[in-house]
Amino acid sequence: MGQVSLQGIRKNYAEVSVIKGIDLEVQDGEFMVFVGPSGCGKSTLLRMIAGLESISGGELRIDGVRANELRPADRGAAMVFQSYALYPHMTVAENMGFALKMAGVPKQQRAAQVGRAAEVLHIVELLARYPKELSGGQRQRVAIGRAIVRKPAVFLFDEPLSNLDAALRVSMRTELSRLHKELATTMIYVTHDQVEALTLGNRIAVFNQGHIEQLGAPMDLYHRPANEFVANFIGMPNINLIDRPDSASAAHLALWEALQGSATVQRIGLRPEHLHLAGQGIPALVVLAEHLGDSSILHLQVEGVNGLLKAKVVAGQCITGQMVCIAPDASRVLRYDVDGRLMESGGNS
Amino acid sequence: MRAAKFMAFRLSPELAPYLFLSPFVLLFLVFGVFPLLFSLYLAFQTWEPTSGLAAMQFVGWDNFAFALQDEWFWKSLKNTAWLALASGVPQHLVAIPLACFIHSSFGSLRNGVVGAYFMPYITSTVAIAILFSSLFSTDYGLINVVLSGLSQIPLLGGLMPQHPVDWLNDPDTIKPAIALIVFWRYVGFNVVLYLAALQTIPKDIYEAATMDGASRWQQFWFITLPSLKPMIFFGVTLSVIGGLQLFEEAFILTGGRGGSDQAGMTTAIYLYRMAFDFNDFGAASAMSWLLFIVVALLTWLTNRLFSTKESHS
Ligand SMILES: Nc1ncnc2c1ncn2[C@@H]1O[C@H](COP(=O)(O)OP(=O)(O)OP(=O)(O)O)[C@@H](O)[C@H]1O
Ligand SMILES: [Mg+2]
Repeated sequence: MGQVSLQGIRKNYAEVSVIKGIDLEVQDGEFMVFVGPSGCGKSTLLRMIAGLESISGGELRIDGVRANELRPADRGAAMVFQSYALYPHMTVAENMGFALKMAGVPKQQRAAQVGRAAEVLHIVELLARYPKELSGGQRQRVAIGRAIVRKPAVFLFDEPLSNLDAALRVSMRTELSRLHKELATTMIYVTHDQVEALTLGNRIAVFNQGHIEQLGAPMDLYHRPANEFVANFIGMPNINLIDRPDSASAAHLALWEALQGSATVQRIGLRPEHLHLAGQGIPALVVLAEHLGDSSILHLQVEGVNGLLKAKVVAGQCITGQMVCIAPDASRVLRYDVDGRLMESGGNS
Repeated sequence: MRAAKFMAFRLSPELAPYLFLSPFVLLFLVFGVFPLLFSLYLAFQTWEPTSGLAAMQFVGWDNFAFALQDEWFWKSLKNTAWLALASGVPQHLVAIPLACFIHSSFGSLRNGVVGAYFMPYITSTVAIAILFSSLFSTDYGLINVVLSGLSQIPLLGGLMPQHPVDWLNDPDTIKPAIALIVFWRYVGFNVVLYLAALQTIPKDIYEAATMDGASRWQQFWFITLPSLKPMIFFGVTLSVIGGLQLFEEAFILTGGRGGSDQAGMTTAIYLYRMAFDFNDFGAASAMSWLLFIVVALLTWLTNRLFSTKESHS
């Protein structure tokens, strides 16, 4: 079991309100990702669930039991820290067995449990080493192993991969996915890397300034971001947000027309992969062409439109400084109202 | 023109470092290396300094043989060992928990508290001796006053001395008195050492231990103490070296003679007296080298004690 329920959770530091009332149900066995810009309160919320920060208001329930006042060790949650936080003077085996030792588990049983966890993580040959004798990736595995050994109801991860290099991060990501399938335990995972969020999560909670902007499955968030903040935050390169034209620019008006903007629509979001090059259409200047090998990102200047539009196109079609014609895929358009909220699709055309 | 003249005085880059180093090297040679070698030379000579340098005579290992057969030398070694243990062990047993307490419990007052504990370390030994002479005084000393007050309490009173104690003149009490002063003087220094070490322990290790279910006491035992180990080694080594060379405190409190029945005479005091009271510089030098061997041996032993566990378990 590992069901976590947050009801109106708040956190204040002196006068400053950091978490402003979070309601969230994390299902048993779910992989929940908290994502959001730096300083939005993801870590704080995670540490409140862990018991490392006190809860200023609201109720935390783990498996139906009120956990606000429970000691961290009694909540059934294990945490993996960004810095790994391994005990430097203990071997890997001692690190992993420490929680069991504190719980009074006899030595032999401890060794058996540590051994099993080490097998799952492929670190059996490292058990006798000290943390300083391990690479970053190995340390990360040990930190995860230390959490696994406790057989927690919930795993809490605070940006566990951010200290690893890019290649290792990718392989650890798949490893974590595998682990989640194997253990089928609830995991709550904090990151500000949206690729991690999209690939790992069953559901993602997008945080902004102490509240949740949107909660949903990764592809729902990507394809139907509920507001401009989420639209802007999810997706790489960023979504194009095109303002309703107030100038007399013909190109801007033509673009708005092509996007099927209506009177109530304030702004329109369009993912770069849905902006295509065409034989004829809206004229745009290629300010910068980034060639990524399989594709190119074009930064386009359309007369009258604020900022640059991004288009993701098949590699090698354009060079910097060229004039092109663009055509948006109108079926993929996201329409936002004055408050930046997503409008029901099909409401206008 | 002028600039050119200055240029002429420019030191060559090869020479400059040596010139800048020379003040230290010179002082070190005169006041460090020379006495060291000279004492080694003296240890094999018999010499009455009043009769001039020409009076030196080579005597081989005689001085060492004399030292090893000298009852007072052995007694001074025993005194030194007793004092080193009685003042050194409590220093660390108190300094570690005290440092942890200060580390966790004092916010803005912290530096003031640390400063107060550090004060004795930088106070002149003479001032300390005057202070403690009056504290330990037989008739009016605060310590005896407190003891006599305690002896009035029904149950506890039985354990208290019935008469004022002559702390600094009674051979049975002079050593504890000196040990107390040494302890008091250096405990603050050790607190500062351990506080510095405590600050380097990452906070998240404690958070991980909290998640792992370790109580505060278990965190101290399993996290703090092992993390302090390198500093404990450093501190204990300093205590061993300092304790075995104990001189000032005992010297001043016993009027430079080692106290009645030589009960407060450390080896350092004895070899000082051997040289300057008894005018036997040869024997004094031999003893100082014997003391050095003891210091080196015990330091090596401390080192072994602290390094074995890590590599063998
Ligand atoms: N002890 C504290 N006192 C006051 N404010 C704090 C304290 N700890 C955190 N905060 C504030 O709470 C907010 C949320 O911090 P938190 O560490 O949860 O951010 P985060 O979302 O994890 O960011 P990051 O992605 O950079 O790790 C920040 O604005 C931070 O300044
Ligand atoms: Mg954080």
